[in-house]
Amino acid sequence: MIEVDEENLIRCHVCEAVNIDRGPNKKCRRCGSILYRGQKYTTHKSWAYLITAMIAYIPANLYPMLVTQQFGAATSSTILGGVVTLWEHGSYPIALVIFFASIVIPILKFLILIYLLVSVKYPLGRDKRVNKYKLYYLTEIIGPWSMIDVFVVAILAALIHLANIHIIAGTAATAFSLSVFFTLLAAHAFDERLIEGER
Amino acid sequence: MKLENEDALDDYIICRRCHTLHKEIAIKERAKACCTRCGNVLYRYDSQLTEHGLALSISGLILFILANSFPLVKIEILGHEQFITIPKTIWSLFTNDFYFVGFICAFLIFIFPMMIFLINSLLFALLRSKKGENITKEMLVILSHIMPWSMSDIFLVSILVALVKLVGYAQINMGVSFWALIGFVLLDLYMTRTLHTYEIWMLRKRVFTQEDRDDRS
Repeated sequence: MIEVDEENLIRCHVCEAVNIDRGPNKKCRRCGSILYRGQKYTTHKSWAYLITAMIAYIPANLYPMLVTQQFGAATSSTILGGVVTLWEHGSYPIALVIFFASIVIPILKFLILIYLLVSVKYPLGRDKRVNKYKLYYLTEIIGPWSMIDVFVVAILAALIHLANIHIIAGTAATAFSLSVFFTLLAAHAFDERLIEGER
Repeated sequence: MKLENEDALDDYIICRRCHTLHKEIAIKERAKACCTRCGNVLYRYDSQLTEHGLALSISGLILFILANSFPLVKIEILGHEQFITIPKTIWSLFTNDFYFVGFICAFLIFIFPMMIFLINSLLFALLRSKKGENITKEMLVILSHIMPWSMSDIFLVSILVALVKLVGYAQINMGVSFWALIGFVLLDLYMTRTLHTYEIWMLRKRVFTQEDRDDRS
């Protein structure tokens, strides 16, 4: 017979088995993954990825995403420029999709992750624990959708290859996919079990 | 809270959305158990999970092969006909010197989705024949690491967005692969929604503890 406090039970992030929290560097009893690494550096990794992602997001917005070469003349458009052009041409739904996927979702994700990372260290006010779990869950669900724009550019670049008209991806495509990649890593590195607060 | 031994913890489950502790209870066939706090589905019970899982993953594999071997979309601009396939999309990124983007896309829309369905088919086949206690464990661990990185559904939406952008300029014909990809994405969504890792781990436990008992008797 063993006696355990319910608060000391944690979920393995790989196989979802319930484990007894016995301190850092212990392995999950079912799948053998490390439950969590040294207590001291839990948020550092997530911060590092997040800052990289935010830095990569700057060139992603400044450099062109899509370069159209038409009869020798090249026109390029940035992410925001592309959204504006689409809006002016009247394709409102597509403009909105791209706007949400490439601008709203990444920024929202940055803000949520910053909030979560800060609030884990310095509890702000009387925020509810469950709400924070919901926020984290939200970032996991919507996060990958910001890849839409990169995929669209890849498809257009592969599809439009004519003698006189070429579409090629711009520098921003690399920067943007780097940014998305590192935000996803940051979200995965964040240990949701650090969330504390009122139930 | 008192426990017989540490393995008794298998009777408990922590909600993956709101981290509330629940005790697992027996539920009816095809029923689902939901979290009392957030309503998220905790687990389902399906006595034929192995057969269903195997059938779903093999059909997924077939659809994936179809989706990759024929043109996704054909367009006609100014008398020129162009088409794309999934490998061609990735390859054209490499030929245009976008190695990083090409690399990421190759993993997100080709390698990971394929791996998930390959591993799932093998896993259910092994569980069905009650073999490979250790390898199924490794497979489940790999699966839960790559599951969040599979983005076929997002790629499908991107195709639609790209086509809507082209609607005014070109004549668009959907290829065979497009329908196969839709089928594949629907299957993928259905599987991620209904087959949680938790259930497969429980299935694995049932399969191998039963075998132990058979050996002893």
